[in-house]
Amino acid sequence: MHSIAQKEFVSTLRDKRFLVLSVLVLALLLAATLVGRASYQTLQQERQLAQQTVNDQFRHQPARHPHRVAHYGSFAFRPRSGLSLLDSGVDSFTGTSVFLEAHQQNSVNFSQAQQSGSLIRFGEMTVAFVLQMLVPLLIIFLCFGAFTQERETGTLKLLLSQGVSLRQVAWGKIWGYSRAVALVVAPALALAAALLFGTEEFTSGADLVGRLVLFVLSYAVYFFLFIVGAVVVSAVQASSRAALVTLLGLWILGCIILPKATANLGATLYPAVTKAQMDADVHEEAQHGINGHDPQDQRSAALKAGLLKKYGVDSEEKLPVSVGGIVMSESEAYSAKVYQQHFADLNATYERQNRLSDWVGLLNPYQAIRPLSMGLAGSDFAHYVHFQQAAEAYRYALVQRLNALQTSMGYGDKERKLDAHTWQQLPLFAYQAPPLGWALPHLLLPVVALLLWAVGLSWLGLRLISNSRLA
Amino acid sequence: MNYILEARDLRKEYPNKLALQGLNLQIEPGEVFCLLGQNGAGKSTTINLFLGFIAPTSGAAFVNGMEVAANPLKIKEHLAYIPENVMLYPHLTGLENLALFSSLAGFKYKEAELLDYLHHAGLPAEAVRRRVGTYSKGMRQKVGIAIAVAKHAKVLLLDEPTSGLDPKASNEFSQLLTQLSAEGTAVLMATHDIFRAKEVGTRVGIMREGELVDVRPTAALNAQELEQLYLTYMHN
Repeated sequence: MHSIAQKEFVSTLRDKRFLVLSVLVLALLLAATLVGRASYQTLQQERQLAQQTVNDQFRHQPARHPHRVAHYGSFAFRPRSGLSLLDSGVDSFTGTSVFLEAHQQNSVNFSQAQQSGSLIRFGEMTVAFVLQMLVPLLIIFLCFGAFTQERETGTLKLLLSQGVSLRQVAWGKIWGYSRAVALVVAPALALAAALLFGTEEFTSGADLVGRLVLFVLSYAVYFFLFIVGAVVVSAVQASSRAALVTLLGLWILGCIILPKATANLGATLYPAVTKAQMDADVHEEAQHGINGHDPQDQRSAALKAGLLKKYGVDSEEKLPVSVGGIVMSESEAYSAKVYQQHFADLNATYERQNRLSDWVGLLNPYQAIRPLSMGLAGSDFAHYVHFQQAAEAYRYALVQRLNALQTSMGYGDKERKLDAHTWQQLPLFAYQAPPLGWALPHLLLPVVALLLWAVGLSWLGLRLISNSRLA
Repeated sequence: MNYILEARDLRKEYPNKLALQGLNLQIEPGEVFCLLGQNGAGKSTTINLFLGFIAPTSGAAFVNGMEVAANPLKIKEHLAYIPENVMLYPHLTGLENLALFSSLAGFKYKEAELLDYLHHAGLPAEAVRRRVGTYSKGMRQKVGIAIAVAKHAKVLLLDEPTSGLDPKASNEFSQLLTQLSAEGTAVLMATHDIFRAKEVGTRVGIMREGELVDVRPTAALNAQELEQLYLTYMHN
């Protein structure tokens, strides 16, 4: 097996067609890595600067009423994960910042896609794009003649007459091609690792190392699948031409048609509400809670009556707390619940759509590697939701703290202001991206799909090869 | 008697063709058996059945007493094969091709030994480190011979092995076969070359339409008689 692997490796390296293709793919990979890094640096610096600016503005507000501060609000900018330079995932479409203010949970806005032309819809030239779409093409061109050419030229008979089995020949070829593919892909991944761990702006650490290792392993399995698949197709097809056409057909089906069809099916089966509809629904439901800004609101009056009773006083003036602050707090709790429910429903819809695609990963390895790659890179939908929820948790805590400050001001708070130093005591938004251990359970299905493919294809494919004809 | 090659009622039938009908053949160690016949007579089918590349419809082929169908890998330890048109890996040199095929057969030769095999097969020294893609058919054939010899097999299965060789190389190949035969190697050679068959063969078999119609010791015939016999069968 080792001899055959070595033969395939050496023959491949000496094949000018492969050299041209692999140099092209390698150049694309290196370019995508460098472009990814530049984009990462620019966006990260922009977001850090913007976060710093809004934090400074928030903390340096003049003496104000706390509720004005709550309405002045702040922004949360989503920092990019280190590995997003390899796979930007849904980052380009999900928005970068969210305005945090009282009474409402805003959606994350200002995505790259919103600010770019329509061409971004065709996908960006990221390392993940090259690894997921172009390297499989390279593998197809490398392996389509694995058996057909041997059969067509007659070398297969001579090979087998030496006493090796078709299965051994197949494994030797798979190993040889794997080495050739590794030679093309490894420099780009090594460069990515050097960029990740060799520069200061990336927060390296065990988590990032773990993610990168799993990222590399996942793609190793993905490429292995294509190599085995191409060798199997080559063994069962009658001619090199038929093998190439079959493999290209499978590539188009797996990498282009099925993902699009699944996305359309998901959107049809699980339609998401429009933003306008969601805003209208939230507004309507929020009516059922206390309106903190409406002094005539009956529920406010009931709350006030309860407070008077609780403190044993007969007028609002004698209360040690501000009724307005408590009403705002109650109102915030209710509206936050409404928003959270609607956002949870919306996210659940998106997750159902994504889940459908993940399940199709059992049929299509491309749809298994995509979520796995994004998940490990920290740029998938789950990581986005994690940020969204962290931003909302911060917003809610901040607003409620401001409401508590208002409450503590007692009666007549609306006529008074709190000192400017007060705002410097408030916590700032600091996002901590989730660790690998958090991400892995979300990626279980794609991992299982890839492993099932690897085991199933190796087992079934090698059986097919063993039973394939020799001449 | 221990036959190194044996066919018992060996039959191979394709959907629209009877390729071999009830072949019975025994070949002893050191014997050179030449199969003569037109294209499609069943010569290559016989060789492919002994190699286990195709399965018989009925009957059985044996190599060194082992049934081929039951021991497809084991029997190949005893066989070396040279096809009519030896095709090698064009991106490897002649030396690398020989090293590859030898290692697959379980022989790890030093470079000097590999060079020696190629030299004895008649490959020019300047060609051994050239890629096979630049070789002529005759040069590839010589590497094929080196591969077969380096395997030290008990049986050589040769399908038109001298096809593409120049007369000098063909003559050297005949001498090589005679030498291997003297060392106990059995040879089953399919050929169109009646004179080469007479020269190196101990027996000749004439095949027609999948049937072995006659077997004669070569010592009993001269080349003209063999040719006449062959033509008689072909015209009938």
